[in-house]
Amino acid sequence: MDITSLKGWEMKERLLGKEISSREILSAHLDMIDRKEKDLNAFITLDREGAIEAARKVDAKLQRGEDLGALAGIPVALKDNILTKNLRTTCGSRMLENFNPPYDATVVRKIREADGVILGKTNMDEFAMGGSTETSYFGNTRNPRDLSRVPGGSSGGSAAAVAGHETPLALGSDTGGSVRQPASFCGIVGMKPTYGLVSRYGVVPMSNSLDQIGVFGRDVKDAHMMLTSVSGYDPLDATSSKKAGRDISLAGVDSLKGLRVALPEEYRNLRITGDEKIQERFRETVKVFEDAGAIIDYVSLPSLEYSLETYYIIMSSEVSTNLSRFDGVRFGYRTENYETLDELYTNSRTEAFGEETKRRIMLGTYSLSAGYQTENYKKALRVRTLIKQDYERAFRDHDVILSLTAPMLPFELDSMVNSPVDMYKADLYTVPVNLAGLCAISVPMGDVEGLPVGLQITGPRFGDSTILKAGLGYERVVR
Amino acid sequence: MAIKTLIGLEIHVELSTDKKMFCNCRNQYGADVNTLVCPVCLGLPGALPVIDRQAVEYALRAGLAFDCRIADVIRMDRKNYFYPDLTKGYQISQSDHPLCSGGYLEIEPEAGPKRITLDRIHIEEDTGKQLHTEDGTSLLDFNRSGVPLVEIVTNPDMNSSEEAKLFLEKLRNTLKYIGISDVRMEEGSLRCDVNINVVDEEKGTKTSVTEVKNLNSFRSAVKAMDYEEARHMKLLNDGESNVKETRRWDEVAGETIIMRRKYTADDYRFANEADITPIPVDGEWIEDIRRSLPELPHAKKMRFMEEHGLSEYDAGVLTQSQELAHFFEETLAHVKDAKLLGNWMMGDVLRRLKDEDKDFDEMPISSKDLAELINLVKEDKINNNTGKKVLREMFETGKAPEDIVKEKGLIQISDEGELEKIVMETLDVNPQSIEDFKNGKDRAIGFLVGQIMKATKGKANPQLVNKLLMEKIKER
Amino acid sequence: MITREQIVHIAGMAKLKFTDQELDEFEEKFGQVMGFVEKIKEVDTENVEPTFTINDEEGTMKENGESQTLSREEVLENTVESQYGYFKILKVVE
Repeated sequence: MDITSLKGWEMKERLLGKEISSREILSAHLDMIDRKEKDLNAFITLDREGAIEAARKVDAKLQRGEDLGALAGIPVALKDNILTKNLRTTCGSRMLENFNPPYDATVVRKIREADGVILGKTNMDEFAMGGSTETSYFGNTRNPRDLSRVPGGSSGGSAAAVAGHETPLALGSDTGGSVRQPASFCGIVGMKPTYGLVSRYGVVPMSNSLDQIGVFGRDVKDAHMMLTSVSGYDPLDATSSKKAGRDISLAGVDSLKGLRVALPEEYRNLRITGDEKIQERFRETVKVFEDAGAIIDYVSLPSLEYSLETYYIIMSSEVSTNLSRFDGVRFGYRTENYETLDELYTNSRTEAFGEETKRRIMLGTYSLSAGYQTENYKKALRVRTLIKQDYERAFRDHDVILSLTAPMLPFELDSMVNSPVDMYKADLYTVPVNLAGLCAISVPMGDVEGLPVGLQITGPRFGDSTILKAGLGYERVVR
Repeated sequence: MAIKTLIGLEIHVELSTDKKMFCNCRNQYGADVNTLVCPVCLGLPGALPVIDRQAVEYALRAGLAFDCRIADVIRMDRKNYFYPDLTKGYQISQSDHPLCSGGYLEIEPEAGPKRITLDRIHIEEDTGKQLHTEDGTSLLDFNRSGVPLVEIVTNPDMNSSEEAKLFLEKLRNTLKYIGISDVRMEEGSLRCDVNINVVDEEKGTKTSVTEVKNLNSFRSAVKAMDYEEARHMKLLNDGESNVKETRRWDEVAGETIIMRRKYTADDYRFANEADITPIPVDGEWIEDIRRSLPELPHAKKMRFMEEHGLSEYDAGVLTQSQELAHFFEETLAHVKDAKLLGNWMMGDVLRRLKDEDKDFDEMPISSKDLAELINLVKEDKINNNTGKKVLREMFETGKAPEDIVKEKGLIQISDEGELEKIVMETLDVNPQSIEDFKNGKDRAIGFLVGQIMKATKGKANPQLVNKLLMEKIKER
Repeated sequence: MITREQIVHIAGMAKLKFTDQELDEFEEKFGQVMGFVEKIKEVDTENVEPTFTINDEEGTMKENGESQTLSREEVLENTVESQYGYFKILKVVE
């Protein structure tokens, strides 16, 4: 039996049935990592010793007949912007090349408490900025489905590790699609929960009003298991929701019958060139829903037309302030070349940040600067309200919205760097979800030209259970 | 006079909460370097701020004490700038939505009462501390980072350093009254920046505002304002135009020194602090806080005048601090004579504290002991002069007045028979004084009293001595 | 459109530095991005409140949680230089 081909929940069942041990699960995955990492480069840092120790503890507990947590013995990979105590956390940046956090993120604490086995830290676009994992200081990650292509981003390392069977479960972070788009590119399930459902404490912020921890699995059940292990109100995160209980249930779903599905009319006009085959696959998928008894309807979300612009202003503004703490004084890279205070700051930041990071800091600094802040930043905060209201209207009489996850197939390495704007447009379907604080899941909807494409199912705030059930329903129909 | 000085103040006050503004580190002055620091106040990546209820309530107390309008929601902003003592590259503060706005304080200069209006009171976090060493390095301690502050901004309503001083004293007093800060300038829990310029209202000319920093005491604030007032007057008279600038007070040189000229306003790129979900401030919460406020200085003064029959001046002095006023009323319960007690407190007690450079909260004598002492005098058990000596002894040793009186045998001699004997003996040995008195030299009586006091070691009841002397002289 | 002078000014505020060649490239790419976000000006936002938080709940304050206070070793662990328990930087002149 190849353990790594099992789903996480299957591993757990066999572990609890004492068919396999936690050490065996771990060894199988470490072997896979040894075989594949030189091609994939999904991890920045591996924690073999920590993982072995954690697995040993699970086996000991099992032997003593103690209760085990929800992630009992299951390997988990963490995007490298999630802080792990005494395990290097880099954010894919030279800035944090040697950063050793003195504390665990809340989600990490929860994984440990749930008896999960943390394998290590996965590759990502620098500070989560990018859609291909190519802006990482630690080199590209490759797509397990086609090694000449990118895995998507920014959580490309986590997606590739799951798709490449290096781990069954992984966490990423999603600010504008950074979990869903790589899930789509790698042919796995990726979900961004409702803003406030999962604590952000200990997650290095990119854009703090948009960031949310997301989960990866090879099927919906795995994503669900990962999500419920880390969700919940956290008094250390003032934006986490008291509604964020753990009662995100998959119970009582066996079909798509009666599911009220909305399709935004605006997406018909907003597509970018070259996605016709993906659109064709999407139409077939909608047909699958319809045939299974879902009720399909068109809705209008007029302010979607401005969502990318709104997103880029808010995101970059927040990026510019969130990344100000990296000044070389208390932690992170410090230049050796300074005589004045200004040189200490400027040289440390200039030497350690990559190009895309600098570009966004610049745009954000501009958007917040005197004279521009009213027409940029403050304007964007108002347009954001309109986008939120559009969705609220749509969800009044619909359960979910269906769309593509990404309007493009995984592209070849080094092929997209030229035009930042084209790259931004690839986020068309994913960013509005973050702007409105909604939840969305990307599930594989087959291949186009031999490459995976994802279906995005979007739900209202705290509709996490609804979209998981819809995803599960779809999975069952197409299986 | 057509030329007017305009002074506005920006005052930062550290709140004496148990914990810091956004984390659970203790808020404590003087701890070992970098031992009260956590991921939040060190600004480590991933750490998130959560607002402290006590800090908000302290700020609301100030807002209510100064009659401000209270915002309906607490919203925080990020003020972006780089500085080594600032851990995140931004300070969590409030920009266009301060917790309290408007409001005023009344001061009482000689010309009569005057309202100094406030622009705003907002909440924010303090920065760490930077130390410059002789070997050319800077050292950073972040224990203070994240300590809650209120920034109180006045309108430019003060027209002299004297008014500004009165304002600062009143402000400090009130903040102490409502128990939200230690307000110690020397420890940095109250920090004051001055904005000053002068205008010629007839000619319609004025100088550009100068901001003065580094004022470590009220005294240096006054000196700096006087210095700047003179400098601005000269600028105006010479018809020179100046630009907005920031200056630093140099205590040793006794002058202000330019730090930087501001050709353009600082660009702090304020952004919404999205890590903190806005918190509504409901009416019930405000009312709870209002009810918890102690009697404020002005109200207390009025009550002291009415209830205790004190003059406005006396009532003002005795309500200077809450501790003093409380001590007064506690003592009064045993003494029952407000005027007498007032004289003792304002005279000997406060003078003594002032000489020793102590605040009233360092008062070494209990209200019970002071009451006892005054009652000894009131009941003629000791005379007034002896009372003052006993008070000095109480300050020095902390002993109870009755013990001192007993130990030193200071009980007043009011026994007529005993005193009569001493008076007769004194007259016997001083025939010349009797002669002098009879010849109209009143001074001779003073001499004789002195001799009697000497003989009794100051314990004789002075009224009785006088009476007996007059009787006995007449008999001779 | 944005001038090179403005770009240099923004870089100064952001504490970043660019070579002339980078600035050339920047001017172009930055221009594209700014042109792209310009479109937002078309939207009518009269009488629309800004979104300060996407949460529809009231904000929360600190609960009496345990302190996260670190040991001094942990505080100083990630800095390049420290002395006497302080963070240390070369003396800098303003």
